[in-house]
Amino acid sequence: MKKYFAIIRGAFMVGMVYRLGFIFTILGNLVYLGVAYYLWTSIYETTNVMRGLTFNEAFLYIALGSAVFILLKTYSDWWISREIIDGNIIIDLIKPIDYQLMTLFTNLGFVLTNLIAITIPTALMLVLVFNVTIPYGAGTLLFPFSLIMAFVISYCFDYFTGLLAFYTESTWGLSITKDTIILVFSGALVPLQFFPEGMQKVLMVLPFQTMYHTPLMLFTRPDQPWEALAGMLLVQCGWALGLILLTRLFYLQAIKVLRISGG
Amino acid sequence: MSLIQIKDLNKHFNVLNRREGLGGAFLDLFSGDYNIVRAVDGVSFDIEAGEMIGYIGPNGAGKSTTIKMMTGILKPSSGAILVNGFPPHANRIRQAQIMGVVFGQRTQLWWDLPVIESFKILKDIYRVDQKTFDDHMGLFNELVGLKQLYKQQVRTLSLGQRMLCDITASFLHNPQVVFLDEPTIGLDISVKAKMRTVIKELNQTRNTTIILTTHDLGDVEALCRRIIIIDKGKVLFDGDVKKVNALFGAYRTLKVQVNDFDESTLKALAGQMIQHFGTNNGISISEVEKHWTDITIDQARTPLADVLSFVMTNFPVHDVRIVEISMENVVQKVYDGALS
Ligand SMILES: Nc1ncnc2c1ncn2[C@@H]1O[C@H](COP(=O)(O)OP(=O)(O)O)[C@@H](O)[C@H]1O
Ligand SMILES: [Mg+2]
Repeated sequence: MKKYFAIIRGAFMVGMVYRLGFIFTILGNLVYLGVAYYLWTSIYETTNVMRGLTFNEAFLYIALGSAVFILLKTYSDWWISREIIDGNIIIDLIKPIDYQLMTLFTNLGFVLTNLIAITIPTALMLVLVFNVTIPYGAGTLLFPFSLIMAFVISYCFDYFTGLLAFYTESTWGLSITKDTIILVFSGALVPLQFFPEGMQKVLMVLPFQTMYHTPLMLFTRPDQPWEALAGMLLVQCGWALGLILLTRLFYLQAIKVLRISGG
Repeated sequence: MSLIQIKDLNKHFNVLNRREGLGGAFLDLFSGDYNIVRAVDGVSFDIEAGEMIGYIGPNGAGKSTTIKMMTGILKPSSGAILVNGFPPHANRIRQAQIMGVVFGQRTQLWWDLPVIESFKILKDIYRVDQKTFDDHMGLFNELVGLKQLYKQQVRTLSLGQRMLCDITASFLHNPQVVFLDEPTIGLDISVKAKMRTVIKELNQTRNTTIILTTHDLGDVEALCRRIIIIDKGKVLFDGDVKKVNALFGAYRTLKVQVNDFDESTLKALAGQMIQHFGTNNGISISEVEKHWTDITIDQARTPLADVLSFVMTNFPVHDVRIVEISMENVVQKVYDGALS
């Protein structure tokens, strides 16, 4: 496994090369949080609890959601599709490593860069600037694990979108569509509780909610009963495993395009 | 058993005939109008462990395609290929451990990182132990002074420096066979010389099998005993490089630029040459680009200096260059039966 650790380390260092860009991401995020703060303050003007969430819970959810979004945003769908289109993928294919694991761990390296350079500073600002109270409970302990699962699931969507480059030369539209679907359906933008009930039911059986809704609810509502917490985690793990396997099968199919028609 | 065995190897690509313009692009979506490109067309050869082969041919001959099949990236359309006893595409990861590859136009180094970091990552990927790693880096430092590049970001390296690093990387895990696809393209003479020293050294001390693709005959002359010439996917010649050298070493191309050049000048030139040097003079003339005329000369029959002075005195020559015979010329001569 040493080889995959080397890949994480390499990607982390590459990510750090671009650290200047982080400042802008942090500033942009601050502006977004400011806007969200006033928006949600006005939503909560006449009531203390909405759809079972207090203002503090709702805002914590939104703010943390944006932090997780930035954490998971590694553009791996973009660089995977680019290396497929320009043919540089053959450089990876001459190495004695599994392509899926290689891209997964490269992505993990980028996530770690994001964590240190963006997510942690944002989280600190959240506490200092917006003065939110952070609840504690069993869910808080499960949150890091849930975040790792969310990372795996998010990676699978990126990987799948990237691999589509074997079939089409413009993955730009596909990437944008994927981002939008995830943003809305995962509860990253607005907590799922605020969706119409019928839609909530549908969204809960789709994988998207496990990327944001699950870890965010563990964090904002850490004092739920054990069965509820465990149930959410189990569903999340199930999706992570399932998607890893599905994308693995998809890779075996997609790589044939290269093997046979030379990409 | 030979290290590499290739028998009746074929790789055919289906290429869509694209139409022009926007409407054409739309029609292409539904098009079934395919052309078959026979990139590799019935190639057979065996390569023994420790050999250094020059695999040469003009652009589009099928060299890279053959290498991509030997490295397991592409699957053959038909035919058999065994490297170390196994078909390369069947177990890519195991096979990758015994191969090193350099694709001249691409780098396998981490573009954004200092050179040494790429080597460290590759060390772990190929599970190279520390001692082997240190010895290897020491050797390359001795041969080409690699150490001074360690701290430099790969993106800032010159083409020659980058290529030396890529070659270092391809030999790092002591592979049984190394494929070098156009490693000298675009390099100046001094870097080429360094490169040749390194390749030769590694072939001799480690008995690494090396397959070198190039369209510079000088590389092959300096390094290889055996040469395989390929064109349009077919092997034209497979044998001792001396045989080819004896033939083409004698050829030089004289490029002349003539003032006020037109069709009649070319005709006059050809006519006067025959008058002056006889019919069996070993000279052939062609206009390659505007104002430039190529005169290919077999020095065994007519000395270059004679042709040069003749042209200089009889025509208003503006500029002159002398070049070694080009790959395209070699291939043409092989077709014409020069080696049979
Ligand atoms: N993926 C591909 N699809 C279609 N045609 C290809 C593809 N790759 C190579 N070819 C064609 O196959 C032939 C051989 O190419 P290549 O092996 O790259 O030549 P070389 O390396 O000798 O210059 C060329 O005519 C090239 O256009
Ligand atoms: Mg080539």
